[in-house]
Amino acid sequence: MKTVSITIDGHVLEVEEGKSILHAALEADLYIPHLCHHPDLPDLGECRLCVVEIEGDSEIRTSCTTKALDGMVVRTKTDRLNAMRRLSMELMLANHVDDCTTCPKYLKCELQSLIQYLEVSTSRLRRTLNSVPVNTANPLFVRDLNRCVSCGRCIRVCREVRGVDVLDFQMTQEDRIVVDVRNHHSMAEENCRFCGACVEVCPTGALQDKEGVFKPNLNRELELIPCKSECPAHTDVPKYIRAIKEGRYQDAIAVIREKAPFPHSLGYVCMAFCESVCRRKEINEALSIRELKKFAAVQDQGLWRDKARFKPKSGKKVAVVGGGPAGLTAAYYLAKAGHDVIVFEAAPVAGGMLSTGIPEYRLPREAVQAEIAEIEKAGVRILTNARVTSLTELKDQGFHKILIAIGAGAGTRLPIKGADLPNVYENIDFLRKVSLRDSITLRNSMTQGGSVSLEDSVSLEDSVSPGESITLGERVVVLGGGNVAFDCARSAVRLGAKEVSVVCLENREAMTASEDEIREGLEEGIRLINGRTFLAIEETNGRAAGVTCQEVASFRFDENRRLQMELKPHSEHVIPADTVIFAAGQRPEVPEEWQLAVGRGNLIITEDGVRVIVKETEGKTVQTGAGEENSVKAKDLYAAGDAVYGTHSVIRAIAAGRKAASEIDLDLGGNGDIEEKLTEEATPSPYLGKDEEFLRLEREQATEEPAEARIMNFKEVSHCFPDTNACSEAGRCLQCDLRTQITRPKLWVHYKIK
Amino acid sequence: MREFEADVVVVGGGAAGLAAAITAAEKGAQVMVLEKANTTGGCANMAMGLLGVETKLQKERLIDITRERAFEKFMDYTHWRSDAKLVKKYIDQSAETIEWLQAMGVDFALPSKYFPGSEATWHIIMPKTGNPGLRAAATMIKAMTERAEELGVKILLETPVKSLIKDQGEIIGVQASDKDGELEVYAGAVVVSTGGFGDSPEFIKKYTPYEWGKDLYSYRIPGLTGDGIQMAWDAGAGRDYMDMELVFFAPNTGGYAPIELPFRQPNLFVNLDGKRFYNEQVVENPVFSVNAITRQKNRVAFSIIDDKTMKKYEENGLDLINVVTSSMDMSYFNQEMEEAIKNGSDVFFMAETIEELAEKTGIDQEGLAETLKNYNEACKAGGDKEFNKNPRYMVPLDGSKYYALKFAPSAYGSLGGIRINDKTQVITDQFAVIPGLFAAGTDANSVCNPDYVFVLPGNTLGFAVNSGRMAGRNAVAYIKSLS
Repeated sequence: MKTVSITIDGHVLEVEEGKSILHAALEADLYIPHLCHHPDLPDLGECRLCVVEIEGDSEIRTSCTTKALDGMVVRTKTDRLNAMRRLSMELMLANHVDDCTTCPKYLKCELQSLIQYLEVSTSRLRRTLNSVPVNTANPLFVRDLNRCVSCGRCIRVCREVRGVDVLDFQMTQEDRIVVDVRNHHSMAEENCRFCGACVEVCPTGALQDKEGVFKPNLNRELELIPCKSECPAHTDVPKYIRAIKEGRYQDAIAVIREKAPFPHSLGYVCMAFCESVCRRKEINEALSIRELKKFAAVQDQGLWRDKARFKPKSGKKVAVVGGGPAGLTAAYYLAKAGHDVIVFEAAPVAGGMLSTGIPEYRLPREAVQAEIAEIEKAGVRILTNARVTSLTELKDQGFHKILIAIGAGAGTRLPIKGADLPNVYENIDFLRKVSLRDSITLRNSMTQGGSVSLEDSVSLEDSVSPGESITLGERVVVLGGGNVAFDCARSAVRLGAKEVSVVCLENREAMTASEDEIREGLEEGIRLINGRTFLAIEETNGRAAGVTCQEVASFRFDENRRLQMELKPHSEHVIPADTVIFAAGQRPEVPEEWQLAVGRGNLIITEDGVRVIVKETEGKTVQTGAGEENSVKAKDLYAAGDAVYGTHSVIRAIAAGRKAASEIDLDLGGNGDIEEKLTEEATPSPYLGKDEEFLRLEREQATEEPAEARIMNFKEVSHCFPDTNACSEAGRCLQCDLRTQITRPKLWVHYKIK
Repeated sequence: MREFEADVVVVGGGAAGLAAAITAAEKGAQVMVLEKANTTGGCANMAMGLLGVETKLQKERLIDITRERAFEKFMDYTHWRSDAKLVKKYIDQSAETIEWLQAMGVDFALPSKYFPGSEATWHIIMPKTGNPGLRAAATMIKAMTERAEELGVKILLETPVKSLIKDQGEIIGVQASDKDGELEVYAGAVVVSTGGFGDSPEFIKKYTPYEWGKDLYSYRIPGLTGDGIQMAWDAGAGRDYMDMELVFFAPNTGGYAPIELPFRQPNLFVNLDGKRFYNEQVVENPVFSVNAITRQKNRVAFSIIDDKTMKKYEENGLDLINVVTSSMDMSYFNQEMEEAIKNGSDVFFMAETIEELAEKTGIDQEGLAETLKNYNEACKAGGDKEFNKNPRYMVPLDGSKYYALKFAPSAYGSLGGIRINDKTQVITDQFAVIPGLFAAGTDANSVCNPDYVFVLPGNTLGFAVNSGRMAGRNAVAYIKSLS
């Protein structure tokens, strides 16, 4: 590489041949004012702020378009140059609104920063601004021409970098030249790809993202890639979507596996927070990210195993109490970090809610079991039917650290009259028994009583069934409006109940259950009753015979998170039932003997989401049930998952398990790094090109079993995309991640030599 | 978690924060400024100038306002509701502060009044173009930023502070985050100066009588979320008088927009009932005017003129001018009016008859007709028996076209929040000093109580820079007292 030597304001710089003076200066942390220059774009010398004087050259040159030549002596800060720059600024400001205070770009604006640096105020020149309404017509961007300085960066990035070429300088009816969409069309008419590059390079408030599209975050990656930031595990969604689109299915599954050991299960039941923030939903519908994840998981040939990283054995032992997604995830990464891990699971089968909560028709057990087998392959030992009662005894077995990931396994009953009648059940107990095919008796005409026999997909030995056996009637009322309520209701339908109702406080829009759950439930004949509060469970002959409800006009939670309701007077009524299931939340069952500090909802209190706080007793130790003091100290105890933050999602449990694994590894002397690179790092192409179909592509729908067929059994309801649909769905992605490749220009304050 | 140490940590790199940082650094302290934006200056980038009393610039121009008179005016205006000792120190220091800025390379245009009835205390910064106007103080921010860096002040940009660290009752540092994650800075003293809560509708609703977007259309400079006030309160600080720094604008026009020019005049002003409610001469004082508007139904008022008056303003110039609008003329208005007609407007109205105007504006038709009749009669009789308006402004409305502009309460930002004493120390509601914690600028500006002291213009930026300097000095004195 040939270099030339130039002197800028007395600083001698060695510069790669062919670079512009501006480039050379900025690279050397020496500031020359500039506005239309952007590090990623070709230079045009339009704004004339980067003017310089070159010794021996009578002309003033724009430094962005003048190459550095050997021996050049350049001056950048003379009075003459500053006067020229100020005039250029005033020309721009005469055509720019004076009021910055209403601009969202305030203090992030390159023009404002230049007003500071060049020490200008309002323009001395006659106002040339012809104010036009702010254009909010397109779904994602706000275009405010009153703040445009015609630097043309947006035009250049769209044309040169993206190859989409939507914007250009256009003539208005008043013969003014402004930046506009080609042919004065809407952005959609010119087939904009809505990648956001134009907004990213805009130095002023002329192009902005619509409020609410992004959540402010200091970390640019997370701010600009909403699907990735919204995912609790920060799965690199655009990366695996791109891999699917390009047919690189093994890369796709590897990218998902970098953050989560349950990709297939997630493909079925992930709450897909990513989809709720997907920018594509502003155009037509969000990308079907969860279905694509399922597709990738189905394609998995396990090639990622070659890149999986196992650290040398540490000789340290960790016990994980609870074999749900949080505990198993933590165990998996701890094992890979070299620790000896044993998972203690109270149920006869590992997987937590994946195996004993979420019904099979939503999540086939083979998928879960295969993923648990993979975790075992990594060296994790899982003991089932192994309820931990004493942490002391566990510690005595030689474990250095104990992670409590017991989930939120206890249903809650509302404190109303009749809540403890024999045919009133709790969500979690009901679902567990359905899952384990255990102790369920049907009292309907179809089966004439007796235990139900369902086609077994998992055979269980020695199943234990805490609690009473369940008798299911014909008229089932489920109290609650979340996904678990629908799990109960839809399971009841499959077990043959004739009339199943879901009754909840919230109106239809405010229900926490996912749209799919509600829709599929309704298709299966479930009756949905919104806006009710439950007054009592009616009793006939010692058994529940119905639920007395009252209509709710409105409700809210006060500062103390207490429910405040406004009831409709005289609206009490009874919904008849022979089986009532409470699906009003779950809470962790934390044995008193563990001496853990618990808060609202019996949740385990932690210092930082991971480290447990032990109740104040002598020497901060845990008392066992037997009363003897032992050596389990708070510093050896960790907690993760639903037991810490209450019932949530599988993906959050996975993220919590990862965090716990990292922290425990750190405390065991490791470096806490559990990250893996399971794919080759490749920079995606910034080029998008023109595509007239792109905006019209509708969201692909997975095929579903018809409702009449699916209520007959517990078989999978929704089927995986075939190849072509997966690729075409992946092609709908706006590729928000490409925007993070664009360099963010530095302002004058950031330069060393100003 | 990354940890840093400094003698003084300043939360917020606006005018107050930079003044505190420079002053502390001048006294030898190691200073760190944590600023959440990408550049320094905060709302001062939009400001024009600051208060100075008995400055050389004033003396050279025979402006004879004295410290004593300024103090008296200030206290008379605020009815001694503000901390007199703090006000006295602020006014007494203000001239030296102007010199301090001049030594940094800041030039000033002539000291100005805001409106004819005010004092010429407003030292508007002279940008290098020689044309002072909106954003002029950005030039001062550049000088202050460079001066701070020259003195070794470390300015961490895009580093929002989340909370103060308190240990045994003393403030010993701050918790913050940047793009690489969380960090902590431990320091001998902390100065909070985050510019108030102008961008927090929640704060406005909770702590002032207004609701943003409903009866208040104030500037919302991004980032002024009251975070500094909240973190001080969380650390035990008391709450002092809080309000908006009120003025009045035509809603959503940006403030002092050309569309206001012929309407921000001593015309006929009516409320929604069509009734006059004040002596329109007072229109030159935005604070008095907004107080009057706030008392009206829905907190709105309309300024009404006819085509004759419009023509008079165009040909003979406006009756009242102020510093902010002096650079604009009626051609600016005409352009905006055309745009308003073309694009539609919910604040500017034009009608052939008074009935049509009433219908378009929503003013009570009968009330307006009656007011107009009485007003025109009073104009002819030559006297305003209702409010004693100067007869020269009593011009009948009897042309062939009517124009009206809707005005409503607005504000530059907020005032007050953190309770401080005259040493800028943060104190609890029980007046106990919180050791190590100082506050300056708009977060602690409860000296304008209950209203912005418009008779002595330059008070927001003036209090920011001066209280910032006091805080910087007091913080260093405090650290020295520890060792």
